[in-house]
Amino acid sequence: MREIAAIVPEEQFVLSNLSPGPTQKRLALAVVLCILAVFVLITAGPLSGVRLGQVYAFVPAYAMAMFVCDSITAILLFSQFSILRSHANLVIASGYLFTALTLIPWILVFPGVFAPTGLMGGMQSTSWLYFFQHAGFPLFVIGYALLKDAPPSKRFWKGTTRAAITLSVVSTAALVLTASFICIAGEALLPRVVLDSLHLSPLWPYVGAPVALSSVAALVLLWIRRRSVLDLWLMVVMFLFSIEIPLSYYPDPERFSVGWYAVRVIGVISSSLVLIVLLYEIEALYARLLGAVLGQRREREARLMTGDAVAASIAHEVRQPLTAMVTSADAGFRFLDRSTPNLDRAKEAFKLISADGHRAGAVVENIRANFRNDLRTTTSLDINELIREALALERTDLEKHRIRVEAEPNQRLPDVLGNPVQLQQVLLNLVTNAIYAMAGKDEPRVLCVKSEAYEADSVVVSVADTGTGVSPQDADRIFNPLFTTKSDGMGMGLSICRAIIEAHDGRLWFVPNAPQGAVFQFTLRANNPVTAAV
Amino acid sequence: MTEPPPGAIVAVVDDDPSIQQSLEYLLESADHDVLAFGSARAMLESGCLAKIDCLISDIDMPGMDGFDLSQAVRDARPEVPIILITGHPELLHRLPPMDAGRHVVFRKPFDGQDLLTAVEDAVRDSRLRAGAPRDNGK
Repeated sequence: MREIAAIVPEEQFVLSNLSPGPTQKRLALAVVLCILAVFVLITAGPLSGVRLGQVYAFVPAYAMAMFVCDSITAILLFSQFSILRSHANLVIASGYLFTALTLIPWILVFPGVFAPTGLMGGMQSTSWLYFFQHAGFPLFVIGYALLKDAPPSKRFWKGTTRAAITLSVVSTAALVLTASFICIAGEALLPRVVLDSLHLSPLWPYVGAPVALSSVAALVLLWIRRRSVLDLWLMVVMFLFSIEIPLSYYPDPERFSVGWYAVRVIGVISSSLVLIVLLYEIEALYARLLGAVLGQRREREARLMTGDAVAASIAHEVRQPLTAMVTSADAGFRFLDRSTPNLDRAKEAFKLISADGHRAGAVVENIRANFRNDLRTTTSLDINELIREALALERTDLEKHRIRVEAEPNQRLPDVLGNPVQLQQVLLNLVTNAIYAMAGKDEPRVLCVKSEAYEADSVVVSVADTGTGVSPQDADRIFNPLFTTKSDGMGMGLSICRAIIEAHDGRLWFVPNAPQGAVFQFTLRANNPVTAAV
Repeated sequence: MTEPPPGAIVAVVDDDPSIQQSLEYLLESADHDVLAFGSARAMLESGCLAKIDCLISDIDMPGMDGFDLSQAVRDARPEVPIILITGHPELLHRLPPMDAGRHVVFRKPFDGQDLLTAVEDAVRDSRLRAGAPRDNGK
């Protein structure tokens, strides 16, 4: 099996680029077998003797149905091209456009539809246009098969998509016009494949065979290079194309035979197959998009609620001793402020203040213990993904403060082992601190988040800001609980972050950023130490 | 500023022992008599309801919470002023609407002087009302 060129990330979301599952393959096989059965029944079986009426109205109805299906397929494939810019998509889209456009001269020259001998051209025109269509479309499919696995540098269109689409449409139309001209105006020069308006000549199969072979060649080429859902169903379409030729001629080489009707019906089916696949893909993508948006919203709410809930419980836990301390201080002051100060009571009040201060400290220590308990839920995670999400969650704030964000994720980082919610809290806290530090400063305000391999077995994440930085006297206190430079801050953030990181066996520290600001860095253990040595 | 009224008997209910103790000190420093309890049940079962001039209660307590306690006290002695303190301001939306205007609520941590002033004002008003002729429709 030849090596498949790498799939570019955008292509992964396009269903028709993904491998077909077993259900699809079975479905495709079922379609093929059904048609094969019909073929056998008609050529050799009980249906071969059936005589059907000549319903001329069938022809325009059939042509209309094919035209609509092929045009819509072409439109959908062209819009896929405008997203993916792959040459292969452009070619197959043009192929469907070609098929649709060829139907126009075909219906005009079909005898008995618009005029007894066709609106223009001669007897041979219809069949030659049919051959032209049935040889041409497989060539487009061959082009698609050859181009789809080209290396990425050659696979994609470099100009504007509008230019590409216009070029394709115009060339395809020109091709159809030329062929129509040959078949219609040059009809007298064409070999006689039909005897009259109803009967095919003995020459017909000799032209038909190579035409069928082009479909078979396309089928074989696709089979060798098969990879995606689109490939699978194009193979089915090529099979249907190739079966049409023998079915048109055997057992009755005439129009309006049961074989002829069968071929038309098969034509409509083959026209709609790819269309149905594309429509199904659109529905599936809708569902995935909706699911992803809802999932993201839920996750964000869960994260915010978890953070909020944690913050609320911490806030409450600390408020109790603080209230007691403040009230005791007020009481102590009042005891001392009397004409005869009550020193005993004042002393008791101070003792209570001290005790509650220690209680608050114990609350913070307990928080660390609680986080350790939460570490039951550790998973292997991609730290770059967490960084992306944290930046997405903070995007409104970042934009509000006009902060430029530079994210430098190292794509080859190993996964780390950790609790995603807690690590997310750390990232959010560091980013929020950075925003706060830069809020009052002049431009440029730059937040830079990097991830790199660190030592042999770890990953280091750096959150750098160009803000006020950390002053030397604060430097050894910023990780202490209850230390804050924010006017409304509680100061818990960095101490909790450090607790989380240390519970993950990492370290959290900061270094000054040049020319101003701070870089906070933390390390995390990689899940697989061997691969971290990149 | 008028002379502070003679010391009131104030009941303090809070499940946090430090806050209980600090409130005792605070009220003592203003020459009030304090009866401190660790739960709403303890206060109701002590029978002190008949003689208190004011109640200070935490809202969020295990068992009977501050709202239920204040309802019980209002039922028994509607003239007793009730001051609620809370560390959860978001709980306030649970206040029965008709009572919302009549409750005085302090958020933790509160200013000691403000609390004392509220106690003294409330006690003075309720004593005035008790001494005044009965309003019609009240």
